[in-house]
Amino acid sequence: MFSFNLQGSRSGKLAVAGLVTTTLLLSACGNNSSNAGSNGGAGTAPAATAEATAEATAVPAATAAPAVEKTVTDAMGHQVTVPANPQRVIASYLEDYLVALGVTPVAQWSTKNGTQAYLAAELKDVPPISYDLPLEAVTSFTPDFHIVQSEGSVQNGLYDQLNKIAPTYVLGDEVSSDWRAALLKIGELLNKTPEAEKAIADYDQKAASAKAAVSAAIGDDSVAVLWLVSKNFFIVDETRSSGAVLYGDLGVKLPNLVTDIPAESRAPWNPISLEKLSELTAEHIILVNSDKASGAEITEGAVWKGIPAVKAGNVHEFGKDTSWLYSGPIANSKTIDDILSSFVK
Amino acid sequence: MASSTDSALQAPSVEGNTSVRSRPLAAAVILVLGIAAIVFGLMVSVSVGAADIRLATVWEAVFRFNPELPQHQVIRELRIPRAAAGALVGACFAVAGAIMQGMTRNPLADSGLLGLNAGAGVGLALAFAFAPTLSFSYIMLYCFLGAAVASLLVFGIGSLSHSGLTPLRLTLAGAAVSAMLLAVSQGIAILFSLSQDIAFWMAGGIGGASWKQLQVISPWVAAALIGALMLSRSITLLSLGRDVAAGLGQRTGLVQTAGMIIVVILAGAAVSTVGPIAFVGLMIPHITRYLVGVDYRWIIPCSAVLGSILVLVADIAARMINAPYETPIGALIAVFGVPFFIYLASKRKGELK
Amino acid sequence: MNRSTSFPPAKPRRSREAGILTLLAVLIVILFLVSMNTGLMRLSPLEVLHTLSGNGTKQQQLILFDFRLPRIVISLLIGAGFAVAGVILQGLSRNALAEPSTLGINAGAGFAVLIFISFVPATTAAPILVLPLLALAGASLTATLIYFLSYRREDGLSPTRLILIGIAVGAGIYAFQLILSLRLDPQNYQFVAIWLAGKIWGGDWRFVLALLPWILILLPFAFYKARVLNVLNLGDELSKGLGLPLERERRWLLAVAVALAGACVSVSGSIGFVGLIAPHLARRLVGPRHQILLPAAALIGALLLLTADTIGRWILQPAEVPTGIVVAIIGAPYFLYLLATSKA
Repeated sequence: MFSFNLQGSRSGKLAVAGLVTTTLLLSACGNNSSNAGSNGGAGTAPAATAEATAEATAVPAATAAPAVEKTVTDAMGHQVTVPANPQRVIASYLEDYLVALGVTPVAQWSTKNGTQAYLAAELKDVPPISYDLPLEAVTSFTPDFHIVQSEGSVQNGLYDQLNKIAPTYVLGDEVSSDWRAALLKIGELLNKTPEAEKAIADYDQKAASAKAAVSAAIGDDSVAVLWLVSKNFFIVDETRSSGAVLYGDLGVKLPNLVTDIPAESRAPWNPISLEKLSELTAEHIILVNSDKASGAEITEGAVWKGIPAVKAGNVHEFGKDTSWLYSGPIANSKTIDDILSSFVK
Repeated sequence: MASSTDSALQAPSVEGNTSVRSRPLAAAVILVLGIAAIVFGLMVSVSVGAADIRLATVWEAVFRFNPELPQHQVIRELRIPRAAAGALVGACFAVAGAIMQGMTRNPLADSGLLGLNAGAGVGLALAFAFAPTLSFSYIMLYCFLGAAVASLLVFGIGSLSHSGLTPLRLTLAGAAVSAMLLAVSQGIAILFSLSQDIAFWMAGGIGGASWKQLQVISPWVAAALIGALMLSRSITLLSLGRDVAAGLGQRTGLVQTAGMIIVVILAGAAVSTVGPIAFVGLMIPHITRYLVGVDYRWIIPCSAVLGSILVLVADIAARMINAPYETPIGALIAVFGVPFFIYLASKRKGELK
Repeated sequence: MNRSTSFPPAKPRRSREAGILTLLAVLIVILFLVSMNTGLMRLSPLEVLHTLSGNGTKQQQLILFDFRLPRIVISLLIGAGFAVAGVILQGLSRNALAEPSTLGINAGAGFAVLIFISFVPATTAAPILVLPLLALAGASLTATLIYFLSYRREDGLSPTRLILIGIAVGAGIYAFQLILSLRLDPQNYQFVAIWLAGKIWGGDWRFVLALLPWILILLPFAFYKARVLNVLNLGDELSKGLGLPLERERRWLLAVAVALAGACVSVSGSIGFVGLIAPHLARRLVGPRHQILLPAAALIGALLLLTADTIGRWILQPAEVPTGIVVAIIGAPYFLYLLATSKA
């Protein structure tokens, strides 16, 4: 039920602040030219994929700090030789960070249900690749560098096989759970540390001003973030993805049901029964509704309508295509926009 | 299959002896006490759950319902349908098992083991995959269809063969049909990215039962249960053997067809509501036969009552064992069902051929 | 079903048997070439030959030697392994419908691997060689359990009881698998779900290495025991009369079948029906003599699994259908046909 989306929410993604990001993205998109198949190797890859920030020069080979091949150790202890200037990057499920750094991947994460919709504009020319990275499909993109988000996704020899195609760096669950750390790490790997730092600074600035606005608008009210999918509810805690933005960066008060969950059994998304939700005292609900298409039996039901926030008409609904289920510089920035539009009139 | 020792499973195996042993008194006691236990079980079931609601409030919600109170709504909209669904599907699985065991003279018959549940599962997977917005009444029809296909496969094949439906043959056919249908469901699930939807449903769960589902299945279930009672005398005869029944003037083909239709409706309705719960239909009829003897006029109603109690209790336990999380009820019942199956299979010596 | 199936008395014609084995081998070679050509990346037969002779591009070499070839080899090994395990179990239970998956042995092996995946953090390096051992342990425990539950002092290992108890134990394990898999985090869940459905892990020679010793030791041992299987087929009394230490031989053979099934499951997940269909087809082709039946079944199993794997890779490109599902959908109808036609 939550196989794909939840992966995302658990992953940390990187981030950059909204304004900068948009510029980065716009320029990055224009340069994307990855095609399957034909390309022999790194050398012939299109040169302009990455560099597009204001201060960076357009041709990678000519960047101010001469990039050299470097050897680093990844989260699983592999020695990874990162190419001097990775041109054809696949970082499945880390696209948010790449986009924030102005790098266009050669292929983007996808499932049967589609790609990460909130990045659709930025990645519209990037062909999809299945989330489980079928080897022949990976090979067909002739990547020169892979970044893998979590240890779990390259179990059972998949790492070695990916590494045969191109150097593969495993970011690891620990790093990816903190989007700032993940952004800095990816920035470092791709020689984009200044961009990463700027993205974080911009985000923090945006978050600080949003925090003031939200606090002025709703004061001490608590807000619950619920995800409804296949007739099951999940509630967000304060550690990851949109919860980290709302409760952490914007300082909004956690609702009672989250604080009730014992700390050791908390997950980024906690399953919660409708019955338990009847005890939710939060003043506002943000509802991420993945069930919109398949009928509204639950949200039409008496129990749902009896929840105080629902009764008071304080439900702010977002679709599954929005950034709420994801984490990363761009996702988080878009989440802030949604929060502002919900609470600050 | 001439069973020598266990009179609990079969009529005394003197050929042609139709005076079956039955204990109407025991059956009457079970019915009365059992219904009382169901009422009590329903009350307990309504009183426990994730939300902390005091008993007094529960009573008020039932007898002085106030739609303004969220707690009353929880009782009304979630717990009562859940408890009722538990009782209802327990009866469905148990009666379906009893009918199958009686008609096929196969002590190992159960809608789960014979592939009917898996068939209903394919129906459900198809519904999820191709028509996710379908209303529940259609989903149920898909389940009926799936269960019907599975039963046709299993019984059709069993009866095609020369030696007829021996328990071993039937059980193997059930295992194979289950495996095949499960593979089909898995295939659909993987292709349409429904894996976890289906997995959760496969584990069985009564938590999602709603009034709407109950409204849809109740008339079918009621009709099927009444039909089962009407058929019970014929099933008793069939359980003595087809030849005996035919010799006594029964139109066995007609009875078997009617019985299978009832079984498909019961299993399909139950599975569409709570998922494929196996072993209820295996265990309950045996226990019932042990208690009330071999007359299906008593076995069927008593199985219904005992099946209700089993699923009600299991559902309460599923909520309490690892609160606030729910333990899959299908697995919980399997904990008792598997040893029971093993016991049945191993105590019958070489006769299950 | 005391006698597995009734066949016309075998007419051991060496040349015919040799001919059939050769034909099977040729079919495998043809399918091997087809399979080398099947996949997302289009490679013409010429390119395949080119690459095989060492003249391909780096990319072509990677795809053929590192991704497709090991997978093909694994399919062949697994097919042979399950088929031989099936022949043995059918001989032991004197029932044409027995095989590792119906007897719950696959489920036990799968369960052990599932437990491992659930409780060992993914951060530890991929323990490829550990998995077959674990699966083996799971399969052995399950088999021991089934053995003891169906063993009676009076009448030994009743074939019927063996099968029924196998089904029961398999159903129980399946229930626990469900509980456990629902508790996995989604990423692991996806992995386990696909693995349980019977997916052959793509190209990695280490899997071949992990599997190969088992096959190399156990298949010849099974062939060596062919005579015993022949005698067992005659029934308990007759076997005893011929001076066979019945229970001891049964335990040995059971151990071989379990080890084969366990090792195969660890690499492929649970793939049912191969162990059933391959022996049966083999019996039709070469008769019931195990000396020839075992190798024939092994070849047919290998052929069958490679076919299923190739179909699974090709039919819904670029998506892959797990091999186990393909086999089940092809195999189950055949199984039912067997069930309908076999005599008691």
